[in-house]
Amino acid sequence: MNKMIPSRSIGVPKPLIDGPEKMTGKAMFAADFQAVDALVGRILRSPVAHASIVAIDTSKAEALPGVRAVVTEADCSNNHGVLPIAMNEWALARHRVRYRGEPVAAVAAVDVATAQRALDLIEVTYEELPAYFTAAEARAEGAMVLHDDKPGNIEREVEFDLGDVDAGMAAADLVREMDFHCAEVCQAQMEPHAAFAEYDAARERLTIRPSTQVPFYVHKMLARVMGMPESHIRVIKPHIGGGFGCRTETLQSDLIAGLLARKARGTVKLVLSREETFITHRGRPETHIKMKVGMKKDGTITAVDFSAQQRGGAYSGYGIVTILYAGSLIYGIYDIVSARFKGYRVLTNTPPCGAFRGHGTVKTRFAFENLIDGMATELGLDPFAVRRANLLVAPTMTENDLLVNSYGLDQCLDWAEKASGWKQRKGKMGPNKGLGMACSHYISGASKPKHWTGEPHATIHLRVDWDASITLLTGAAEIGQGSSTVMAQCVAETLGVDMGRIRVVAADSALTPKDNGSYSSRVTFMVGNASIDAAQNLKALLIAAAARKLEIAPEDVECLGEVYRGGQQDQGLTFEEVVMEALTGEGTLAVKGTYDTIPESWGGRKYRGAAIGGTMAFSYAAQVVEVTVDPDTAEITVNKVWVAHDCGKALNPLAVEGQVQGSVWMGMGQAMSEETRFHEGLPLHANMLDYRVPTIIESPPIEVGIIEANDPHGPFGAKEAGEGSLTGFLPALTNAVADAVGVRATELPLTPDRLLELLEKKARDERAGVSVSGKLA
Amino acid sequence: MKNTLSLTVNGITRDDVVPDNMLLVDYLREKVGLTGTKIGCDGGECGACTVLIDGRPRHACLTLAATCQNAKVETVDGLSRDGRLTAIQRGFNEKLGAQCGFCTPGMIMASEALLRRNPDPSEADIRDALAGNICRCTGYVKIIEAVQFAARELAA
Amino acid sequence: MEHLPEMHLQHPATVEEAVKLHAAAPASRYLAGGSDLLVNIRRGIERPDSLVYLNGIAELHTITDGLEQISIGGAVTLRELAESQLLRKPFSAVAQAAGKVAGPSHREYGTLGGNLCLDTRCVFYNQSEWWRAANNYCLKYRGDICHVAPGGKKCFAAFSGDVAPALLLFDAEVELAGPDGRRRIALAALYRNDGMDHLTMTRGELLVAVHVPKIPAPVRTGYAKSRVRGSIDFPLAGVAVRLGLQDEKIADLRIGLTGVSPLPFLVRGLDKFVGRKPDDACLEELREVVRGQAKAMKTTLTPPHYRRRVAGALAQKLAESIF
Ligand SMILES: Cc1cc2nc3c(=O)[nH]c(=O)nc-3n(C[C@H](O)[C@H](O)[C@H](O)COP(=O)(O)OP(=O)(O)OC[C@H]3O[C@@H](n4cnc5c(N)ncnc54)[C@H](O)[C@@H]3O)c2cc1C
Ligand code: SF4
Ligand code: FES
Ligand code: FES
Repeated sequence: MNKMIPSRSIGVPKPLIDGPEKMTGKAMFAADFQAVDALVGRILRSPVAHASIVAIDTSKAEALPGVRAVVTEADCSNNHGVLPIAMNEWALARHRVRYRGEPVAAVAAVDVATAQRALDLIEVTYEELPAYFTAAEARAEGAMVLHDDKPGNIEREVEFDLGDVDAGMAAADLVREMDFHCAEVCQAQMEPHAAFAEYDAARERLTIRPSTQVPFYVHKMLARVMGMPESHIRVIKPHIGGGFGCRTETLQSDLIAGLLARKARGTVKLVLSREETFITHRGRPETHIKMKVGMKKDGTITAVDFSAQQRGGAYSGYGIVTILYAGSLIYGIYDIVSARFKGYRVLTNTPPCGAFRGHGTVKTRFAFENLIDGMATELGLDPFAVRRANLLVAPTMTENDLLVNSYGLDQCLDWAEKASGWKQRKGKMGPNKGLGMACSHYISGASKPKHWTGEPHATIHLRVDWDASITLLTGAAEIGQGSSTVMAQCVAETLGVDMGRIRVVAADSALTPKDNGSYSSRVTFMVGNASIDAAQNLKALLIAAAARKLEIAPEDVECLGEVYRGGQQDQGLTFEEVVMEALTGEGTLAVKGTYDTIPESWGGRKYRGAAIGGTMAFSYAAQVVEVTVDPDTAEITVNKVWVAHDCGKALNPLAVEGQVQGSVWMGMGQAMSEETRFHEGLPLHANMLDYRVPTIIESPPIEVGIIEANDPHGPFGAKEAGEGSLTGFLPALTNAVADAVGVRATELPLTPDRLLELLEKKARDERAGVSVSGKLA
Repeated sequence: MKNTLSLTVNGITRDDVVPDNMLLVDYLREKVGLTGTKIGCDGGECGACTVLIDGRPRHACLTLAATCQNAKVETVDGLSRDGRLTAIQRGFNEKLGAQCGFCTPGMIMASEALLRRNPDPSEADIRDALAGNICRCTGYVKIIEAVQFAARELAA
Repeated sequence: MEHLPEMHLQHPATVEEAVKLHAAAPASRYLAGGSDLLVNIRRGIERPDSLVYLNGIAELHTITDGLEQISIGGAVTLRELAESQLLRKPFSAVAQAAGKVAGPSHREYGTLGGNLCLDTRCVFYNQSEWWRAANNYCLKYRGDICHVAPGGKKCFAAFSGDVAPALLLFDAEVELAGPDGRRRIALAALYRNDGMDHLTMTRGELLVAVHVPKIPAPVRTGYAKSRVRGSIDFPLAGVAVRLGLQDEKIADLRIGLTGVSPLPFLVRGLDKFVGRKPDDACLEELREVVRGQAKAMKTTLTPPHYRRRVAGALAQKLAESIF
């Protein structure tokens, strides 16, 4: 009678349902699509950083045999952008280029050689303008504005002042202030951007397969930029080779592929080089942070006063949201009673920044956790004790009106402390070895979507037909994070059936319901809930059918997943039989499930932009990093990381571990080796050799502790798992280095040359008799 | 210049007319139609295009197809036997050695080469063998576990 | 799909045939593993019309253990070098250096000849055609200024092959074959201090083999490399050390450097350490001598100050750890 127990799909490790395709090379990524008549797309990019475009002459390129289309801004009906309030980008530069590498024209030709030759034949006349490569230059008195509606090259200035910061500082036993500087970093997902666009000239319809995390936004922007009815466009998301945020807005390459296909009235494959993928950017901005914290002798934080300046690049993108997050998410993790923030998002002649895993929070958290670690040392407090002195108690609303319904940070701290042997080992590591720790958190989806339309946050369709298979239709974009698997799990668990019954069809605008996309860790929470809702609706139909057939009342039907029965003695009906009964007189079952956030989670009105940060639930993480520093070469080896992550109910513990390890490790790259610098606006790291993504050699073992502080609103209690633990690595690393060699790094990445400078300065200071902790003052 | 290239790709003998300046990765993907092998960089920096040539791992993006005359080329597309995943593929699947799956073909081929010459690799051996393959999703922890899983399966 | 220029690929079977084929086309290049050349062709900094593929030449693939010397063919791969039983003590530095080149797959097909004839590197040079054009090119290729030292007319692009400094420790010689026959020169004489034109080989010369004389004295050698990541990266500085002790005093000391200037070279002025005990003070001094000669310029993203300093530190560490 084993079969009578409903199948369990939640809380057990599950390989991804689309795994086998990835193991065999059958998974189709955008660049893998082929067609005999597919044309090759290529983009002409600006060689200058800031200039007026005086003229573009494409006639020679058009005349070249084999060229099927040449497009410029003249082919665009409109501009685009991810935030409805800040659309100022053109798929192909209009009248002006604002960064080196900005697309100016594009061609589609019968082969690569022809496409390349055609690019060389396009003549663009530029009139150069002054260009600014740092936020300071762009903000300087008299600097020319990049966009006429952005005086002073300020994309957005943000401020809030909550509680009484001055009183808080006055009440503190120790007040410290430091400057932090974090380099710009890039997602560097392994798959270069690509799109495969087919234009049906007879019907004037476009089908496109872009490498995107947000098929719905791409759909919207294609319609806007191409001037086409939305109903004439079909967006199908292929397999996606990572994204980490750079694909959460419509990229020019998505739009250019569509424009070329229409003009060529055929099929165009546009695959960017790695260099172009780096230039497309949308990474995390270079940021200067100044932060002051007041602390009591027992570690209680009395006030935080900070400012951030971000170099945003040439267009708005997500900029406003990024700078708002940088302020608002000082809250939500500790009990902060007063805080003041001033933030500037600046426009510069560099590639546009965007949303990168841990969007907005990373550098603020780095500054905060780094600063309080030094203060703990000064006060003779254990870093764990300082965190514990400032915990929140859920449920609560933070001072800036963020809803915190579930809170596992205390348990995360306990786990990380124990697993790392902190109590026994801290302070006894021996020369040049150290332990450091830090905490972080992240939202489970923004409670207010960017495109507010009144629709639910997430919609799922389930279809059941005569073969008794369940097809789950979702617009959510599987990008390797395992979202399709999670949805199948939620439906299987709710119905008690085996996951094998469920087939997921994802992100095809012709088939699947709309979804906002995979960003800000919204999918598991929102789409997971919608999946449960849909499965419950389906279950109700099946129970009603079973009741009819068994001739009992629906409330007397016992659902065991594969068997529906009236009672212990009843042999019951198989799932197939129930489905057949349900179809009788009805036909194919099609049910829907939706999810909406509750208004309390939308964030308050305490200052302009206070809604940014509002979420249904926060994830929490605490991690300990162990390092060894070579004092001669200043090379840092990360020996091990212990990380506890509170993701609420771990729907798929295997995937949670994978996400947490990937996040921590990505934090490591940002902390230690990755950065994006420019030579007069030319990218200096636009390849996989100079943009130093860590290799397997220096990547440490990462032990994950899953903490389940279930959220009352989460699907089965689940929360975010794929971003929150990235952030903590950065300060945990600098804290560990401080423990190992007595220097506190405030500039990232902490490459050997930067650490060497700090060590040399320390040696000089020691010779001169300056105390090292004096650095804090 | 075009010449006839004779070689075996995943055990199948082929003769193709191939220009001298065609990269092996383009030959495999566009001419043969095996798109399992991926392109992740502008040349030699990421390992996504790793294939086996006469049993040894090599970057298909820095190899001219015409230099593979009479060679035995193996790609991820041809690894599974009778439609069943091999040990290394099962390892990557079950241990979540692949998230987005874009580095996976290269990782699997580099691991396959390792296991063929060293069926019982230590963790250090695994790290050394995969040191030229970048993965942006996993942090490598589960990739190491995937290879260890496969080694155990092969030993059993 | 990558766009490469039209090229004619030649498949010679002997050294002499290769030399002849090379001479027959105006812009020929020898193609060994291609792990450097093909990158450069893809970036448009090499535009050959003819490639002479060396893999089919049996002579280039042998390692032989002679009476007086070990001879290594030009097309021997780096993996073969790293694993060769012949390159154990005292030649460990060579095997170690080969084992630290790039990543494991590169070493499967990257060759000794290619490593020794590697083009010099600079952050303003190893870029795409679009990038270099936007930057008005530079002295080394198509341009007329140097972005590293804008005033000058000299190119500082750094030689970044790992194996050369190790071979320099042993007075290795290279055997070259050209249109006028074969000749042997000291490996050190293969290089000159000019980032634009760092190889002294005449056009069309092929590196057939490297001959490493056997050394009687009981010396030990090793190679250490600084790089940001644990794999793949070119050396920020590479240091090969040869040290022989007699009665606990230094009897033999040589240090080869790479990655810090347009050529690999032996550090000068080490005679003064002979006869001294390799104690802390001595090694500190050694470190400063090495640092002083590692005149790295801004050709990498890692600042020169670090590369100089780390060259000294690695030399000190190696000298300390060898015995
Ligand atoms: C991502 C990446 C990382 C790398 N990292 C390193 C590193 O850390 N250290 C390092 O040393 N190298 C590194 N390399 C460069 C390269 O892989 C090695 O130097 C390799 O040894 C080159 O050998 P090859 O046979 O592939 O040379 P090829 O590319 O075939 O040739 C290189 C040059 O040498 C000439 N040549 C080759 N053989 C001969 C011969 N027998 N006679 C005359 N001329 C000849 C060629 O014409 C060409 O000009 C790296 C390359 C890449 C792509
Ligand atoms: S050192 Fe100067 S001339 Fe030489 S490659 Fe670099 S920029 Fe060009
Ligand atoms: S695509 Fe070949 S190494 Fe990156
Ligand atoms: S699984 Fe995505 S890059 Fe490795």
